[in-house]
Amino acid sequence: MRSVQPAELTACDKEPIHILGTLQPHGFLLALEGPDLHVAQASANLPDLPGRPAADAHGKSLAEAMPEIGAPLVEALTTQLDHDGAAYLGVLTLETGAGPRLYDLAAHRSGDRTVLEFEENAGETAASGSLDTLYPRLRAFIEALHGASSVEELCGLLAADIRLLTGFDRALVYRFDREWHGTVVAEDGNGVLPSYLDLRFPASDIPAQARELYRRNRLRIIPDAGYEPVPLVPPLSPTTGQPLDLGQSILRSVSPVHVEYMRNMGTMASMSISILVEGALWGLISCHNKTPRRVPLQTRNACDILTQTFALQLAAKERGALSEQRLALGAIQSRLLGFMAEEETFVQGFLNHPEDVLAMANAGGAAIVTDQRCHLMGRTPSERQVRAVYDWLSAEHGGEAVHVTDALGEEFPPARTIADTASGLLAISISEKYASYVLWFRPEVVQTVRWGGEPQKVTSKDPAGGPDRLHPRKSFETWKETLQGRSLPWTVPEIDTAKDLRAAVLGIVLRRAEELAALTEELQRSNKELEAFSYSVSHDLRAPFRHIVGYAELLRSREGEKFTERGRRYVDTIIEAAFSAGTLVDNLLTFSQMGRNALNRIPCDMNQLVEDVRRKMIRDIPLERAIRWQVGPLGRAQADPVMMRLVIENLLSNAVKYTRGRPEAVIEVSREADREGEAVFSVRDNGVGFDMAYVNKLFGVFQRLHRVEEFEGTGIGLANVRRIVERHGGQVWAEGVLGQGATFHFTLPIR
Amino acid sequence: MADLKPILLVEDNPNDIELTLAALEKSQLANKIVICRDGAEALEFLRRQGPHADRPAQDPAVVLLDLKLPKVDGLEVLAAVKGDPKMRAIPIVMLTSSREESDLVRSYQLGVNAFVVKPVGFKEFFEAIQDLGVFWAVLNEPPPHRTDWTSGE
Repeated sequence: MRSVQPAELTACDKEPIHILGTLQPHGFLLALEGPDLHVAQASANLPDLPGRPAADAHGKSLAEAMPEIGAPLVEALTTQLDHDGAAYLGVLTLETGAGPRLYDLAAHRSGDRTVLEFEENAGETAASGSLDTLYPRLRAFIEALHGASSVEELCGLLAADIRLLTGFDRALVYRFDREWHGTVVAEDGNGVLPSYLDLRFPASDIPAQARELYRRNRLRIIPDAGYEPVPLVPPLSPTTGQPLDLGQSILRSVSPVHVEYMRNMGTMASMSISILVEGALWGLISCHNKTPRRVPLQTRNACDILTQTFALQLAAKERGALSEQRLALGAIQSRLLGFMAEEETFVQGFLNHPEDVLAMANAGGAAIVTDQRCHLMGRTPSERQVRAVYDWLSAEHGGEAVHVTDALGEEFPPARTIADTASGLLAISISEKYASYVLWFRPEVVQTVRWGGEPQKVTSKDPAGGPDRLHPRKSFETWKETLQGRSLPWTVPEIDTAKDLRAAVLGIVLRRAEELAALTEELQRSNKELEAFSYSVSHDLRAPFRHIVGYAELLRSREGEKFTERGRRYVDTIIEAAFSAGTLVDNLLTFSQMGRNALNRIPCDMNQLVEDVRRKMIRDIPLERAIRWQVGPLGRAQADPVMMRLVIENLLSNAVKYTRGRPEAVIEVSREADREGEAVFSVRDNGVGFDMAYVNKLFGVFQRLHRVEEFEGTGIGLANVRRIVERHGGQVWAEGVLGQGATFHFTLPIR
Repeated sequence: MADLKPILLVEDNPNDIELTLAALEKSQLANKIVICRDGAEALEFLRRQGPHADRPAQDPAVVLLDLKLPKVDGLEVLAAVKGDPKMRAIPIVMLTSSREESDLVRSYQLGVNAFVVKPVGFKEFFEAIQDLGVFWAVLNEPPPHRTDWTSGE
């Protein structure tokens, strides 16, 4: 009865391994339908029992076809099969022509069919499989698990115990990584088979649908890889016309690819148990034997319990390790938040504590990059290279809050040149509006990975012209591959901590923005008040001074001849004092207006401006004074002409004032070499100069370096100069030598 | 000198009035000086209303208008004069203590003929007033086309 169609193998992922429709021959199967549980399909190896030829079973009720199965078992089949996976129903003895045979009986549901499987009892190890003998071992194992301090240790215990229970030549614990590549993390063996410890197996070895089966049906066994698959008769259900889903079956045939794979590996028997952590496939325990080997169902059930216990312990350990890491990172994070809060900008908080920034993500280097700035910490690529990563990130992952990779060069090929510092990248975007990131870098970890065979599978052309046939690899000779451009992977707590930090930064930035808005509002209000204040000062304070000066002048001119010498001096002093008070008010108003009025910037011909001011000024200079003016080519600058005139007036009148005692005053106005888009001007004189010790006071409001009787002035002129220049985006500074002269420099944007 | 038109000084501050008069006196202008103490009165004078209804129908040579005035302020007077086709030709010089640029801008927008910030120094103040008096009262050419109502006498 060999009507099996060879499976069309085009790709492992497409192989319909759960409906292959064949079984392994170490048992037989009945598929039952209907309320009377009649036999709809049976495996072709259904034994002929005395007086009951196998072919007659079809269509008969279970009670008729297998009277050995008692009423309680039939009841169990109709009522209790509601959980996933096969239920163990007990041991059944069948009187065959060759004498009595023991079968382990298991049943499961497949769609609306009930599947009953009779697995030949492996008599020789039956004793070791009884629960009584297993119990002390299970207990010792569980105690050992509790004592284990690491995941590696746990895995080692599992491998050793499973091998001890089953007697396989080798037991491996195989762990999947994020990409479903597997690594053998623990192994126990007797030396008959080679060690696979630390070998990596590519994800393609266990394709997705096989992993799903592993998840649904935890335990699989192939007692003899040399088996002849046994088909179902008939292949499809006579009532529904559907193939039987054998996903939960114990006897299910495995994929021919897998059998070929096993033969290539030199193992004739295998058993694998899935390790599920929180419902997800974490790994497998995989046992192999050089020769065919049967493991009784009870032992397999014990192994399953052992593995589930292990998985629970593993989950607890991993959770513990994760929360420990979470806690440690959380502590660093809250410290950083504190630093951030202390500083004017959060960036400063980071920059002052680079060691915490790096520790928070266990990174080798970090960078804070915005459109304008790029701050580097620790071991990073150069600023230019970081900028390139930033550009790529903003362009390709602009909308993402977090971007993580442990192989940056694979996503962004130019980064291959910076693999030594930046193979791993963890990036958080720290602004909702602008492209701004905190980037953490991890160096390349050059891992020598031993693959369990070449990860690329080989296909061969079908001579009949069909689709390419897929073969498992023939060679298991370990070859080494140096994985380049990879960093240690970022752990979930590391990524989560970075995400939390991002939320906090955005929170802080947002709060700062609100504070700033409130401050601006407050500032605008007080500016308005200041405006109102200066407006009233402008009217109400100037007038009295003007009146004092006016009346005193009238008094002097009309009554002056009646005064004594002293009386005239008094009047003169009143006039002078009131005049200087009035001038002071005028200057103050100018100063306050400077902050309030908008700049009207146009390209100014600086020579023209200087010449206008100079001409107006020399009209008031006594004729007997000798002043040599040296005005160089000044070019143009972007400035408000009215305000710039004030600057030049102040600087030139100071130069004229402080050279008063010189036989010949030399006043030089020149343009120095441009710097960074700015024009630099200077006004130099050979006057009394000043002591550089007081240079910082020079530009302050009401700061005077001379006695009032030496040089007149309100002490506000240079404050005005500074304010105007700074409002233009320039700078002003001075140099002086006492008794020799002073130079004032100021800069203005060229355009 | 019946042709000599008066100078209208609109000023509420007696000190400023006195000092302005002193300055004008020194410039030896023969023009009569009419003083109004607030904007409302100034408008009545210019419109020949109320107590000024009987005044001769002759516009002043120049109005020296203080900006800050009780009741109707200088800017309002300026707006009223420059907004009235019958008075628009009367020269107005805004005199003010204020150094606020906004006042200056506003005044020019309203069509002021000159804007003078009263200098603190007396000499400068005198010169400014004298210059103004001389310019507007003596040198300024009157508008070429006189309308009927101004040539009443």
